[in-house]
Amino acid sequence: MAPSPPTPSPFFDPGTHSAPNSLGIIQLRRDHLIPTVLSSTADADYKEGKVENTRFGSFPHSTLIKQPWGSQVLASVVDTGSRSSKSKKRKRGPTEEGRDAPVPESSEVRGDVVKAETASSGFAHLIPPSPETWTLCLPHRTQVVYTPDYSYILQRLRVRPGDHIIEAGAGSGSFTHAAVRAIFNGYPSGEYQPNDLNGTDYGIEPDSAERQKGFKQYGGVYSFEYHAPRAKQLETEIEEHGLSALVTVTNRDVYQDGFCLPSDGRNDQGPNANAIFLDLPAPWLALKHLARSPPSAAVLKSVTASSDPSTPDAEASVMPQLATEVFRSPLNPNKPVHICTFSPCIEQVTKTVSAMRSLGWLEIDMVEIMSKRLEVRRERIGLQEEGLRNANPNAATVVEAVQRLRDVEERAKVFHGLQKEKQEEVMRRAEAKKRGEQLLANTAEGEERTRAKFEGLPPSKLDRLERAKKDLQIRELFKEGRLVHRTEPELKTHTSYLVFATLPREWNEADEETARKRWG
Amino acid sequence: MHSTIRPNSHVALRLPSGISKVIEITPNTTINLGKYGTFSSNLLLGRPYYLTFELLDKEDGKSRTELRVVPASELHVEVLGNGHAPTAEASDEPAEGGPEFDIVGENGEVIMRNNRLTVDDPSRQKLSMAEIEELKKAGAGSGKEIIAKIMGSHEAIEEKTSFSLAKYTLRKSRKYLKRFTVLPMDVGMLTEYITERESHRVMELREESLGLICSWANVHHGGASRVLTAEDGLSQIGGARWLVVDDTGGLVTTALAEKMGILYPDEDDDQNLTAEEKDAGAKEGGEPIQTTNGTTTSTNLEENGDTVMAEPEPEGESTTQPQQQHTAIDAPSDPQPRPRRPPRPHIPQMSATTNTLTILHPNNQPNLSYLKYFSFDTGAPTTSHPLYKHLKSLSWLQLLSPEDDPSYSEPEALTDEMLAGMKSSKRGNYYKKRRRWERTTRLVEETRRGGFDGLVVASTMEPKTILKELVPLVRGGGRVVVYSPNAEPLVELCDYYSKERRTAYVARQFDSQNNRSNNGSSKVKRERDHADDMYAASTDAGDEDDDFPVNPTLLLAPSLQTARARQWQVLPGRTHPVMTSRGGAEGYLFTATRVLPFEGKVEARGHQRGKRRKTAATAETAAPE
Repeated sequence: MAPSPPTPSPFFDPGTHSAPNSLGIIQLRRDHLIPTVLSSTADADYKEGKVENTRFGSFPHSTLIKQPWGSQVLASVVDTGSRSSKSKKRKRGPTEEGRDAPVPESSEVRGDVVKAETASSGFAHLIPPSPETWTLCLPHRTQVVYTPDYSYILQRLRVRPGDHIIEAGAGSGSFTHAAVRAIFNGYPSGEYQPNDLNGTDYGIEPDSAERQKGFKQYGGVYSFEYHAPRAKQLETEIEEHGLSALVTVTNRDVYQDGFCLPSDGRNDQGPNANAIFLDLPAPWLALKHLARSPPSAAVLKSVTASSDPSTPDAEASVMPQLATEVFRSPLNPNKPVHICTFSPCIEQVTKTVSAMRSLGWLEIDMVEIMSKRLEVRRERIGLQEEGLRNANPNAATVVEAVQRLRDVEERAKVFHGLQKEKQEEVMRRAEAKKRGEQLLANTAEGEERTRAKFEGLPPSKLDRLERAKKDLQIRELFKEGRLVHRTEPELKTHTSYLVFATLPREWNEADEETARKRWG
Repeated sequence: MHSTIRPNSHVALRLPSGISKVIEITPNTTINLGKYGTFSSNLLLGRPYYLTFELLDKEDGKSRTELRVVPASELHVEVLGNGHAPTAEASDEPAEGGPEFDIVGENGEVIMRNNRLTVDDPSRQKLSMAEIEELKKAGAGSGKEIIAKIMGSHEAIEEKTSFSLAKYTLRKSRKYLKRFTVLPMDVGMLTEYITERESHRVMELREESLGLICSWANVHHGGASRVLTAEDGLSQIGGARWLVVDDTGGLVTTALAEKMGILYPDEDDDQNLTAEEKDAGAKEGGEPIQTTNGTTTSTNLEENGDTVMAEPEPEGESTTQPQQQHTAIDAPSDPQPRPRRPPRPHIPQMSATTNTLTILHPNNQPNLSYLKYFSFDTGAPTTSHPLYKHLKSLSWLQLLSPEDDPSYSEPEALTDEMLAGMKSSKRGNYYKKRRRWERTTRLVEETRRGGFDGLVVASTMEPKTILKELVPLVRGGGRVVVYSPNAEPLVELCDYYSKERRTAYVARQFDSQNNRSNNGSSKVKRERDHADDMYAASTDAGDEDDDFPVNPTLLLAPSLQTARARQWQVLPGRTHPVMTSRGGAEGYLFTATRVLPFEGKVEARGHQRGKRRKTAATAETAAPE
């Protein structure tokens, strides 16, 4: 994909202007955002270079690069029609024949992108990426952990810069991005090696222990994903976003294999985590790996027994393994560890909580987050709104209603009067006809009289509609009507249950003795 | 955060009743927990957080009060009731002394009971008030015996259903057990603590709102951020700097500072713990180590902050360390001003260029009293605390009309000879004034130049007036977040940034622009725009302010949201949402993105298609700010 991303991730330090090969977000509407790695090269289907086509116009990347963040960018005229024939030729071009004679257009030459022509309408805003905007526009692979949930989770997990967090069930990566922001306190190494990351541990600077001027622990996210293609894609995204020094993506079944990372000589410490987020179907099966010391057989049995019969193999295979292997804890031995599990069903919660109780977790607390977005609008009600959009043309007040009734009655009275006259006229004519007389002169006069009668009357519906339309030109709708708010039409009423718990640092007789000696 | 309790740090003790008590752990003092008893603070020092301790006193055969760590399994047994005990880790943590926890009689093995026979009569409890008081005075073993006695003398304990029995036991334990849990003082704890007793002082801010604020403001550690300037070469753009208006006594500030890694005085030292514990024999071993770490922390931050720009006043860091250590020891324990030591290099306060919070306050001094729980006193700040350099504060007067603020006008500069002839106290005063002036000037100027990464408002003031002044100071793409306990002020705010108002605003600007060009000459567009701004400011001011209290083109996608956590009880067979919780303010959040509107006419596209309700873009034109 993109060549090696710039060292400062656009998530933390986007710079003043958008830059090539860095992630930018095109915001079209509030919930319609397009993430794109900005590219200045010409190897795309358009002569303007890489182009984002949207309902609100086409945006060539050349118009998006080197813009101050937050800029309103106008759409450009892009020939989207003739692309198909060209693209075929182009696709074959560089791969099979290489860049030689049969590519006549100047746009084929690298870097020579045709300057885009501004379109007459359409615009978008270019904004720097953040976990929130990314959450709104990331490619969905699984259920996404949305902002109200992850913000609360990270708050409750007490995640701070420099912390190490385990995330299992990385899914679409929305929580990953939020977690990186929370743990970020600098890039572990000055140099950036994008190709050197294969599930190994980059979270800790190798020689940080030897640093003389104080020890600085860099934050790290340890992300586990069972589904290999998803893990792969997450890794690609992380790299595109300049975050691969901070996130370790591992494709693994954590129920089975736990959370410790293989030692690679420099780093034989595991994740050394002090915060854990489990978005797994059966978190209780993973909990046994998240202990400070190997859980006793009785505890293990009670934990696995609580799982349903659909996962019996986990129990069978893990128990002997645990017994034979030397237990290594993925947790930070010195810090209290906070955990959050994210499960949609109450049965999952019950099992998780009972496993937590058996394994000595404390401060167990289960909550669900109810969040809603509100819609703010002006509600215009009144007879003046007749025939207008987005308004209610009913009477706004009793007085208005009475007036309208009165008007209608008045018009009706005149109308009926006229009807009667007409009737009489017809009768008269009929009679005159019978008698063989001629009554011609009256018609024009009658018309005149009719109009005169309506003169002083309230306007007809047609007149009213016309007047409403005319008034609209001078009315200031943005401040008319009543300001109201209400829940947005689409409501997320349940995301998942969040179970929080804390595992204090291990404390034994010897520790107590040391503390007693020191402090009394 | 430390893994163990340090001297002179604040901790929260949660009592069996559920109430928390925040205390500062000063060595060699007595901590009084009222009816639960008293114990020496030294019994907590060096111990880890989140443990539950039980008070053991004379009656338990101890010469002085001691604390026993209550193992997790024991805690869970109580909550669950006997029927559903989790597998106890008996081998892991042998209870030292004290009998095993067995309040409930062993004969409770009735299969299923129901409440058909329940008698609602208090007389079934045979123990009288006086008798219970007597028992308490006798102080039988950490409350367990009292509970056992009480339960034993309940006439119909066998008639209770197992659920009600568990509930009854729990209720009695809450009342009589002499226990407490030690929790670290962090933002979550602080929020809980304040919410319990004085939520009106923090605008009824709840933890879920705090989390949302921090997320939407995109607050993060910015120690590694570059110092970048705008085209004028002067104004800084970005650099992880946030503008804050905080009427919550500093709660919002603490939450933001925690996310930026500048709240805790010595956050990095946990790694040294093991080493530290080895020299436990050393007298007062903890303090020098703690403070050394404090200084190295701030040095680290500086190193990060200055990847591009050199530290403006790089003097001090190494030479001042002895003094820093000294103050770090003293300041947290007693708020008296720093001891006077003549040759002390000056460490400029509020001097960091990245990873900063700039607080705007309506009074002369900011009200950030909750920072005291994190060893920071705005009145007498400790130089080693990260907030000393990274927390900046200025008043609204200093921002909007600095000339009216006395600390902005330059004090008379004196020559070296004149200074040499002065008394040392006078000279000190002179320097103090000069520095205050330098600080104010620097602060006012850098703030007025803007370029902040975001704006966070939790204020009782009218939001539109705040946003009118501060939104222009936010960089393009920066986040604006406004918290309010009630929806109405924010609903209004959304309306001021509504699509319709924006369209009208732009149309009006264009009208007046066209009028000007018709009336006048053929000036260059730039000049015309400028003149137009002046025109708008002078003539239309009244009307403009009513209809457009803020410039609606500066914010994109204004949204309003709220979140609330609903708590559940999870017990086998008894899982349900908790029956009662706090009412009061719901807490709402306004979020938006600062944008730079295009200079010139802009026509929207796409509003003919799709659902009308969903089209955010309308025909719109934009004008220069």
